Amino acid sequence: MRYTTQRVAYPYFVVALLLFVLQVTLGLWLGLQYAWTAPQGLVDAFPFATARAMHTNLLVLWLLLGFMGATFYFVPEEAGRELAWPRLAWVQLALLVGTGVAALVGFVFGWTQGRPLLEIPRPLDLLVVAGALMFLANVGWTLVQARRWTAVQGSLLGGLVFLAVLYLFGIPFYRNLSLDWFYWWWVIHLWVEGAWELITAALMAFVLIKLTGVDRAVVEKWLYVELGLFLLTGVAGTGHHYYWLGAPRAWLWVGGVFSALEPLPIALMVFDTWRVAREGRAEKVPSLTWTYLVGLSVLHFVGAGLFGFAHTLPQINYYTHGSQVTVAHGHLAFFGAYVLLNLTFFYFAIPRLKGMPGGAYEERAGHWGFWLMSLGVLGMSLSFAVAGVLQTYLERVVGQPYMVAQQPVRFWMLLAVVHGVMVLAGVVVTVRHLLRLRPAGSALEVPRAA
Amino acid sequence: MTLLTAKWIFWGGTLASLAVFGVLTVDTHRQLDALTHAERLDEEVVAGKRAFERHNCNDCHTILGFGAYYAPDLTRAWTRVGESAIRRLLHEPHAAFAGSYRLMPRQGVTQAEAQQLVAFLRWVDGIENHDWPPQDSPGRWKRSTERLLASSTMSPGAALVQQEACLGCHALGDAGAHVGPRLEWIGGRRSAVWIADYIADPQAVAPASEMPAFAQLDPAQRGAIAAFLVSAAAEAGR
Repeated sequence: MRYTTQRVAYPYFVVALLLFVLQVTLGLWLGLQYAWTAPQGLVDAFPFATARAMHTNLLVLWLLLGFMGATFYFVPEEAGRELAWPRLAWVQLALLVGTGVAALVGFVFGWTQGRPLLEIPRPLDLLVVAGALMFLANVGWTLVQARRWTAVQGSLLGGLVFLAVLYLFGIPFYRNLSLDWFYWWWVIHLWVEGAWELITAALMAFVLIKLTGVDRAVVEKWLYVELGLFLLTGVAGTGHHYYWLGAPRAWLWVGGVFSALEPLPIALMVFDTWRVAREGRAEKVPSLTWTYLVGLSVLHFVGAGLFGFAHTLPQINYYTHGSQVTVAHGHLAFFGAYVLLNLTFFYFAIPRLKGMPGGAYEERAGHWGFWLMSLGVLGMSLSFAVAGVLQTYLERVVGQPYMVAQQPVRFWMLLAVVHGVMVLAGVVVTVRHLLRLRPAGSALEVPRAA
Repeated sequence: MTLLTAKWIFWGGTLASLAVFGVLTVDTHRQLDALTHAERLDEEVVAGKRAFERHNCNDCHTILGFGAYYAPDLTRAWTRVGESAIRRLLHEPHAAFAGSYRLMPRQGVTQAEAQQLVAFLRWVDGIENHDWPPQDSPGRWKRSTERLLASSTMSPGAALVQQEACLGCHALGDAGAHVGPRLEWIGGRRSAVWIADYIADPQAVAPASEMPAFAQLDPAQRGAIAAFLVSAAAEAGR
């Protein structure tokens, strides 16, 4: 840490981590509802739908708060200047957390916009927009004053502006359900396969440059290629959501062809991480941060790239669309790409924020957290995948009614819950470790020689 | 590769994708009214969409395949379940799913809302979306029923379904009405014994059902109808 205003990132990280625990706890509750029948009174008071709205909104909220905190850490160092308005960053955090809490409590009492992932009621949407504007103004003004432009910065700022603009398409009420879903995907798809990928690429490039000291020019050159491929495949690839919602047939071609190419930029990212790791400084310390970097690129590729590719072609998607196959892909992709990205950045930034020499920290519990979470999510996604294939075959191919076809699926959902317990354990270990991070060697009785 | 080439890849890739996406978006807007039969999209349908959102239906059910996967897809719910059964599921979910391993919450849906939701689902049912979902494909219902009728000209159950005018309320293949559930769907979900009991006294088996009792039929006849429905369940393959 070189600038005092970078400190404002830390409260964002803390809030994000606490919300992460709550999100995963609710996920476990949701999984349990597939395997166990709650009494009617409980179903009336706290329906599956309410818990799901909380689970998904918490995910989006904590990931975005993590990105914002990461940006506040990143911008002063990259621009070579203190943040323009550090106190505004605090106001923004209070506003967004307040809005989030109001939305979550509102869901319990049935106050909802009623559209999946965009359940936050419209009056609260305006507060989210206000928070986003504060954020963009703060970051934008800092960069303008610094007058030092880099490709990494451009990618981050571009991603953030794109993200904020797309949110607006989710706010209006659409009379036509098909049009509603058409623009719903402008928020959801173009976020995760557009704007958020720009942010990921920027934060990964920043961390790699800082950790390895490799030549910035090389990293930035490859960043252009990655971003070009992400946007080429991701934007028109939105079409893979438009196959069955009442849109013209041309989307089957465009969605199929472009989204079949979507694993390419992620593969390039994996290659890039490997190349930088090989060419950069020989010593890979702290080893947990490197475990996260490698885990991030591998699981990003498997979850988003391979699991996504598996059901993106229209001929397959006709049968798998809207089944647990989507759930398998969704969980592994979000974890591999965005959860691990946030945690990687936290492990990079928190030791520096706390002034630990060389960014090194006592890492043992963190390794347990990483492996419990990663293997847990992998096992969970494979269980969802089996559930999905079974559902697809019984319901869509054989033609059994939904509830008949769900009966054998329940076992695999139970297996997902068992893995979910492992995930929750890993998350608790990781969050505890991150919040109580200590300098390297402090856990030992004899301090390590310098 | 030089930095210049990398920048070309960035701008070329981004702009090409945006151009394709933009052109198809304009085309979608031009065709959407025809594909979704916007002329039938009246105020009652819109009120139904608002009720659908108010009760957060979409965080358990999918519609057009989007949403949560905890409950059946609603894209073709109107032809599969029928209007009377939809109203009953909305008003009395605790009775409709009594004993089921998965329950639907009681949300205090009003009579007016139920009617609006039926209108909404009837409109959604007409959206032309390349015959998705496969399990509710009209082509599949039709072929399945054609095969069945071709092989069972002597079926007493089929004759009784005809004689009792079941298709005045229920759908079978591409014939019939959409008041009660589709017969193939009943046959897929229920046993022959359950169906025979239901025909004798619907309200005893499913409280608040709007179906009239067919107590005048003797048990053997009710059994024949039940056996016919079970055999009418959709068959594999398209």
